[in-house]
This record gives sequence, C-alpha cells and structure tokens, in this order.
Amino acid sequence: MTETKDSMESNDNLDPRFENLAGYVLGALDHADERSAVENLIENDPEVQAEFEELSEAANLLATSVPPVEPPASLKTRIMEMAGQGTRSRLVEIVNMYQKQGGRSGPPWWRRAFQSGLAVSAAAAVLVVVVGSALSYQNNQLGNEIDTLRANLATESVVVANLQTELSTTLSDSENRVATMKSEIKVMEDDFGAITEMVVHQEEMVSQLGIVNNALRQALSDQNWLTYVSTKEGYQVESWLASNTQQVTSTEPTASGLIAVRIVGNEAVFQVHGLPQPQSGYAYTLWLMGNGDPQPIAQFAVSEIGSATIAFLLPQPLQFYSSVVVTQERVDGIGVDPTGTMVLFAQTN
Amino acid sequence: MNYQGLEDLELLAKIGEQDRQALAALYDRYGRRVFALAVRMLNDPLGSEEVTQDVFMSVWRRGASYTSKKGKFTTWLFSITHNRTIDELRKRRRDRSRENADIDDHLNIQSGDISPADAAVARSEYAKIRAAMERLPVEQKSVVELSYFKGLTQTEIATKTGQPLGTVKTRMRLALKKLRTALSAEMGAQS
Repeated sequence: MTETKDSMESNDNLDPRFENLAGYVLGALDHADERSAVENLIENDPEVQAEFEELSEAANLLATSVPPVEPPASLKTRIMEMAGQGTRSRLVEIVNMYQKQGGRSGPPWWRRAFQSGLAVSAAAAVLVVVVGSALSYQNNQLGNEIDTLRANLATESVVVANLQTELSTTLSDSENRVATMKSEIKVMEDDFGAITEMVVHQEEMVSQLGIVNNALRQALSDQNWLTYVSTKEGYQVESWLASNTQQVTSTEPTASGLIAVRIVGNEAVFQVHGLPQPQSGYAYTLWLMGNGDPQPIAQFAVSEIGSATIAFLLPQPLQFYSSVVVTQERVDGIGVDPTGTMVLFAQTN
Repeated sequence: MNYQGLEDLELLAKIGEQDRQALAALYDRYGRRVFALAVRMLNDPLGSEEVTQDVFMSVWRRGASYTSKKGKFTTWLFSITHNRTIDELRKRRRDRSRENADIDDHLNIQSGDISPADAAVARSEYAKIRAAMERLPVEQKSVVELSYFKGLTQTEIATKTGQPLGTVKTRMRLALKKLRTALSAEMGAQS
C-alpha cells in the first residue's frame, strides 16, 4: 500500500500544466507570477480549466468540513451598517442623476419647441407623447430605485431597532450590575461593621478578663498573706462570710469574706473579695451581732476589684457573738442597727 | 418578499440593486460557515469577525459581477473567505507578536479540536467530509492541512516537512482529487 502510494506521489509524470494547479486552489503558491501563470492557463486551456473546477470543488468541500460557528449578533449589525453607508452614497448618486436628467428633459424641450415656431398641434401632440413616454420610463426606473431604497431603509430601521434593543439591554444589564455591586458593598459594609463591633466587644472582654485576672492575683496574694499571718503570727480563720446564705437576699453571688482572729489576744483581720462598688452615698459596714446590741466594727471601701482588708480589735472574744454581717449603710452616720442591704453573712462557731 | 426562499443567484441579483435585505438573507445563510472557516484557520474569534465582515462587504460590492460561469456560488464565497484569511494569517506570521498558536498544535483536524457541539453533527455532512479526510494517507492530509488551513506555501511545506517540492505539489493534487472522488458520489458534490 505504501509502495503504491509512494509511486503514485512521484512528481515525474505530472503534466507541467497541472503542476501548480492544486497549490493555486489551496492558496499555497509562493509568488504572484506563479498565480498569474496558472490563471492564464485556466483562461486558455479547457483541460486545465476542467481540472481547476474539479480541484476547486474539492477545496470547497474542505471549507464545508468545518462545522458552522455562530458569530456574535453584533457582526451582522455591523455588516448591515457598512452596507447601509454604501447605499446612502448610492442615494446621493441617484438624486444627482435625477437632477441632471430633469435638467435635460424639462423646460428646454418644450421651450425650444415653442421658440422654433413649430407649435403645430399635431407636432405638439407627438412631442407630448414622446416626452411623456420618456418621463414614464424614467419614473419607472426611479420608482424601482426608490422601492429598493425604501426596502433598505426598512432594513436599516430594523438594524437601528436591534441596536437600540442591544443598547437598552446593555444599559439595563449595567444598571443591574451596579445595583448588585452596591448591594454587595452594603453587605460588606454591614459585615465590616459587625466585625468592628465584635473586635470592640472582644477588646472589652479582654479588658474585663484583665480586671478579673488582677482580682484573682490580688485574692491569691491576700490568701498568701493570710496563710503567712496565720502561720507566723498565730492567727486562725474563724468565720467564712458568704453571700449565698439564706440570710442574704440581695447581693453579689460571688462575693465572700473571712475573719481571722489571733489565737492569743483580741486582734482580728477581716477580709472580703468580689464585692461591687456600693451605691452612691453608702459604704460597706462590718457588724458583730448577737451579744446585746449589734456592734458596728468599721465602715470600709473596696478596691476596684471588690477587695478590702481591715485589722481591728474584737470588743469581746468572737464566740460571744452569734454572727458576722456586712451591710451597706449611709456614710453620713451609722445607726444603732443595720438598716441597709445585707451583702455578706456568717455564723460564728 | 420572502428573501429566505430565494436562490443564491437571485439574492446576488438583488444585491446588485443594492438591496440590503438580500445581503442579510445571504449572511443568514452562509455567515456561520464563513465565520467558522476563519475561526478554524486563525484560531482567533475577533480576527475572524474582521474576515467575515470583509468577505460580506466584498459580496456586497462585487456580488453583481458574479456569474455562474465562475462556478458555484459557495465555491466563490469560500474562495474569497479562504484567500482573505490566508492574507491575514501570513500578515500575522510576519508579525510574530500577533500569532496565536504554534502551527503544529492543530495539525490533526480529527483529534484535538472537536468541540462537544461537533458531536451533534457527527452524522452530518461534516462528519462525512472529515471521514473522507481521515481516509487520506497521512502525508496527503498533512499537506492539505498545512496549506489550506494553516496558510503555508508549497515551499514552506517542503521546508517544514523535509519533502521535495515536487512531492508536495503532487500530494496536494492527489489529496484534492481523492477527496472529491470520495465525496462526490455520497454528496453529489453539493455543499
């Protein structure tokens, strides 16, 4: 098969007239003079012409071997517009022609006839028929041209309408895109606002955690101090005060306190943690209860983290009292009985 | 008037009278094929639009001078398209910066460049023509591809493939003749 093909493809026996014909049909000739020579042969040699037609048909098949592809709609519009420009030039041409012909076939004809003295009725009748026929023929021609131009105008109107529709669609699309983008930007702004809010909130939380951390550090420090005092100075914790007892109805649930008393002697240390700042005009007041009248020991303020430590002398040993309480009392004078809100309570042992 | 029902020659006669509706009808009939051939050769839709525009403007200006003595209208139309696209290809080849892809990328018409849409026409005339192309010996198919679709001249093909120039010429001729013989019976040389 290969041998047969190779022998068929030998160029030795190819008629020189046909040598460049396929190249011409495929557009593959290198030089213009080669093309001219082939065209000359096609023009003058029937055999070459027949071969040319045959090969051209095959080349045509190559073109149709490509599946159709839809060009953009705007291409047709563009082509029709360009053709329209050509038509407008033609319109100008026709109008010029009409004006020139009108100049020749109008007044000079009949004017010359009257001026020549041949105003005989029969001659005039012939003249009218001739001129009428000429004008009629001319009118028909112009009528055809005008019909074509009208048709072209109609086509152009369709093109313009299509363009308007396309523009309108494009404009509408653009507006929609802008609206969508605006909406997206709004969402992004909202998101950004929310994120900013979260950041601020987180910063506040970090700040609060810092405060709590400080409080815990302070409490730990106090505990260490108390442990030290208990060990070195002979104190022992006597009462834990809590806010979550039945006696306390309205206070900070996490607040607590203690009283440590020196084993020998009447010195005592009172310490609280986790109390909020008292109401304006009020201060916390430590009371010993249950041995006659309530005994106010001290009014005190708490630190930023709600802590306070007070050293005082017990009027009597702690076991003489039934309970220890902390209340909020006015700063401008403590009554004989606690009247303010109780915030801590402990029963003594 | 129903322009769609008119024959090609009737439309051309109307184009001779500057009837744009006739041009529009001819574009509707052949615009996709002209554009497709340009895209196939240039591999550039934008450049193919320019070619298609030039081809139809050429039909608009020269349509009146066409006669059936010049062969079938489609042969004439595709010949204009092919020549115009080859001009563009060679211009681009001179100006390497505008070249889109290496020539070897699309040598095989059957393999790499069949889109899914092409599958829809698998049993159409395109498939038949492609099948006929595939039946050609590979060397003949190659010279047709390089010349017709890639715009290479005979000498360029000889240099590129290392074949003698005479062999290239003979292969071109044989390929075209075989194609026509293979398809004329099946398609009645219509298209």
